Amino acid sequence: MTRPLLDVENLTISYRIGKRWIPAVRDFHLQLAPGHIVGLVGESGSGKSTVALALMRYLSSNGRVESGGRLAFAGEDLLSKSAAEMRSIWARRIKLAPQNAGAALNPSMKIGAQVTEVLGAALGIGGAEAERAVLGMFHDVNLVDPEKVADRYPHELSGGMQQRVVIAMALITNPELLILDEPTTGLDVTTEAVILDLIRGLMAERDTGVIYITHNLGVVAQLCERVLVLYAGEIMEEAPVDQLYATPRHPYSLGLLNSVPRLGQSKADSRLHSISGNPPALTQLSAGCVFADRCEFVIDKCRSAKPPLEQLGDGRAARCFRWEAVAVYPHPKSNAPSVPRPTGDASHKEGGTLSTQDDAHSLDTLPFPPSGGRGRGMGGKCQASQTSARLMRVTDLKKHFPVAKSLEDWLRGRTPAPIRAVDGVNLTLGAGQTLGLVGESGSGKTTLSRVIIGLQERSGGQLELLGMDIRNSVRERSPDVLSKLQMVFQNPQNSLNPYLSVRQALRRPLVKLRGMTPAQAEAEVSELLRRVNLREDYADRFPDELSGGEKQRVVIARAFASDPDLIICDEPVSALDVSVQSAVLNLLARLQEEHGTAYLFISHDLAVVGYLSDVIAVMYLGQLFEIGAASDLFQPPYHPYTEALVSAIPVADPEHKAERMLLHDVLPSAQRLPSGCRFHTRCPRKIGALCEEEAPPWREVDAGHAIRCHIPLEELSALQGSFLRPEEIG
Amino acid sequence: MKPGPFSRRLAALRRFASVLLRHPQSALGTALVFFFLILALFGARLAPYPNPNDQSHAPRVSPTLDIGALQVGEHPFGTDRLGRDVYSRVILGAGSIFRIAGLGTLISVLVGSAVGLYMGYRGGWFDELLGRVIDALLAIPALLLALVLVGIIRNLDFEIGSWQAELADNVVLLVIAVLYVPVVARVARSSALDIKTREFVEAAEIRGEPTYYIIFREILPSVIPALVVEASLRFSYAIFLVASLGFLGFGARPPSPDWGLMVNENRGGFYQLTPWALDFPALAIAILVIAVNLMSDGVRRAAQKGD
Repeated sequence: MTRPLLDVENLTISYRIGKRWIPAVRDFHLQLAPGHIVGLVGESGSGKSTVALALMRYLSSNGRVESGGRLAFAGEDLLSKSAAEMRSIWARRIKLAPQNAGAALNPSMKIGAQVTEVLGAALGIGGAEAERAVLGMFHDVNLVDPEKVADRYPHELSGGMQQRVVIAMALITNPELLILDEPTTGLDVTTEAVILDLIRGLMAERDTGVIYITHNLGVVAQLCERVLVLYAGEIMEEAPVDQLYATPRHPYSLGLLNSVPRLGQSKADSRLHSISGNPPALTQLSAGCVFADRCEFVIDKCRSAKPPLEQLGDGRAARCFRWEAVAVYPHPKSNAPSVPRPTGDASHKEGGTLSTQDDAHSLDTLPFPPSGGRGRGMGGKCQASQTSARLMRVTDLKKHFPVAKSLEDWLRGRTPAPIRAVDGVNLTLGAGQTLGLVGESGSGKTTLSRVIIGLQERSGGQLELLGMDIRNSVRERSPDVLSKLQMVFQNPQNSLNPYLSVRQALRRPLVKLRGMTPAQAEAEVSELLRRVNLREDYADRFPDELSGGEKQRVVIARAFASDPDLIICDEPVSALDVSVQSAVLNLLARLQEEHGTAYLFISHDLAVVGYLSDVIAVMYLGQLFEIGAASDLFQPPYHPYTEALVSAIPVADPEHKAERMLLHDVLPSAQRLPSGCRFHTRCPRKIGALCEEEAPPWREVDAGHAIRCHIPLEELSALQGSFLRPEEIG
Repeated sequence: MKPGPFSRRLAALRRFASVLLRHPQSALGTALVFFFLILALFGARLAPYPNPNDQSHAPRVSPTLDIGALQVGEHPFGTDRLGRDVYSRVILGAGSIFRIAGLGTLISVLVGSAVGLYMGYRGGWFDELLGRVIDALLAIPALLLALVLVGIIRNLDFEIGSWQAELADNVVLLVIAVLYVPVVARVARSSALDIKTREFVEAAEIRGEPTYYIIFREILPSVIPALVVEASLRFSYAIFLVASLGFLGFGARPPSPDWGLMVNENRGGFYQLTPWALDFPALAIAILVIAVNLMSDGVRRAAQKGD
């Protein structure tokens, strides 16, 4: 190791709450050499962003770094610097790329001018020289057509482009240290993959030290060299990245690694591991280990004494009395990669009393056996001959949003093309099954779900539930239909009315949709809470007294209150922390088994979708491009778009260094759809003019698995065969 | 046992009050408003001469109030040129200004928030149409519109004792309500636009809840803080408007003890004779307007902090 760029020792950071100073981060340390990347992993509230701000001495006025610690940057003590000296360091030598790139850019200034301004302020460079430097930097961060980008305003750029501009802005002064605070959270996996590639390349080139803050274990595995795992303001474990993933030494790291579903893991195989409980409040920390209350390895000593951060050799350290016991515990890397696939011998970590047998899983009840000859044209008909256990059928569903006429349109007497968010989707869903819907943001999957639930009126097509033709909007639907269709939303924060108690929130659908008397409803509320693993006394709580995971449980209970046949889950776990995510997924899987409820499950996280789904549909620009059983979909042959999605997933395994298939261009506008195959503008496997002219046919791989592509299946298989090793699929 | 909804509301109210009273200005404003409110409610019992038109006293008596000597005397604020006790008349005048401004504000808040919430939630042509009407109403200066409306209604002849005459007597109250309905509606509408995109409203729609349930049960509670702020602001403007109309002769009619009217009656040449008959009601108006403004400032702060 060369001279450390950053040397942090015994750093304690406090926030003032009322009249007290609460230590939010305690005893933090970090060494970083130039050209290296260290990852800071933690859930919300773990103090990772506080660390980032403190390292820059950029805490707000109610925060301070306690004396007694060391914070040295390139050999200089930052803690003794004056405000003016810090400003000059911020201008050139330490840069922060914040999480929300859109908010970090000035909306009223052109991109080029904003970045040029940074250069002027930091290095006094202006005029043509600065402009050249900015364009060069834009080129380095892979912005296509730098001159055009420089001449645009932030809102004219996509999220991925904005993020690249922010990274360019941070790198243009050639800083020695770059702090990236969740730079890819909120971006699509396809965009994320491109950004991560970019960061990796730039670091190697410039000898910049990077601190990468994230909650995503996959990203860390793919990008970082060393990892610090933070929990409730303390370092739990520190290790080189491959060792952390191979042999975690702290129960928390182990729990985190186990709770992430891996691609190819299914609800039929096993429940996900989850960490029970909630992180402690910083104001009421016990004398013992901060993780003791949620730890599976806890012993009496953990509650009375605080474990030290013990050095374990090999540059590893763990804050646990029982790291040796953790070391021999099974976890994904030690007993995987191959997970037993037959549904028979599933092992349950949750409860252990649950049965996994779910008859609907067998392939012959798949909703979608496409019939070869009929798949041509924009509508791409895919007939479903199945009738036995069919719950819902969507036929040629369309949702077009009209675009308001501009003055020019009025004068020329023309009507602008509508935005075709959903454009001819055919789906069938069997009772008790989960249909996963994946695709980038803008692919129309949320619109499709909102049309099905009736929050938006469809522009065309049929929707059939249990053989009944379903009307357009919720207002026209009968209570009977309403009670059969429910929804779980993405953001639990906004899903519950802050002014209604849990009891009130749960009682309403019982009375309204199941016609219960108040007394019956009262008893049923307790029953619902019990079913989602919440104590009965939660009924009198209000949403602000619940954690994110608990809120989502209440939302799920509310959705189940009317005893529905189909629940639409729109990204139900994406707003939750990793440790809570798995518990909610387990809950959804268990409730499905108990009630035989079908899910339409939307997520951008393919591993999550794969875990819960029986059938997965891949959507792009308003149309389906691949549909198949969850177990088949992540194996070749797949549609080139699916291939790109799968390869973009940051796998939580540092040894998985597969070649990525990157999608560089931006999603085309749904108002001006590409001709022929809609994916041809970005398709890495485009075969020529055919793709631009003719809509691709559905090709049937086997029963229930179909791909909509011009490339014959055998060729696709040959092209993709080497792509993912089968043992990684599981 | 966890605290139920009632004690939760009580706790929220206590939090609200503590923020309101923490700042000295808003605490002072609130105290003064409550002082005037007591005068308004119990004026008849507090005033030494409960009949405002009791002319039995000697006219043009100077104020006997002597703060230095801590003496109140027979007529603390003196008597006017007709021999009426100014002190009693100022106390008795508090009632009408509170009744007119308070009730007018209340009506405008109730009607305005219902209209605004419906507009915001419903959207579409209804919102478009009413939005234009509101814009048009807001473009007319408040005082001018009030003068026109009062002028028209006052000039109609009604049978004494009929409901139309009753209505004409309360014309200022109605004018305030009409003037402020659009203002309140606009605030309620913009808040409803924000709240209706939240998922809990969509969850209610998926349950098939009727519109009134969604508006009043799901949306309204979240809008109340904004409405409370708007109500306190409207109240302070209403006080000012009532006093202005009284002074211009469009409000209460002589000989009622309206503050604005008292200022009007005692200006010009009469001011030389009995300056106190103008000074004290003018002072009362000034203090009340400032007090209500300070209070509404505090209410705004407390409502923002409370959430």
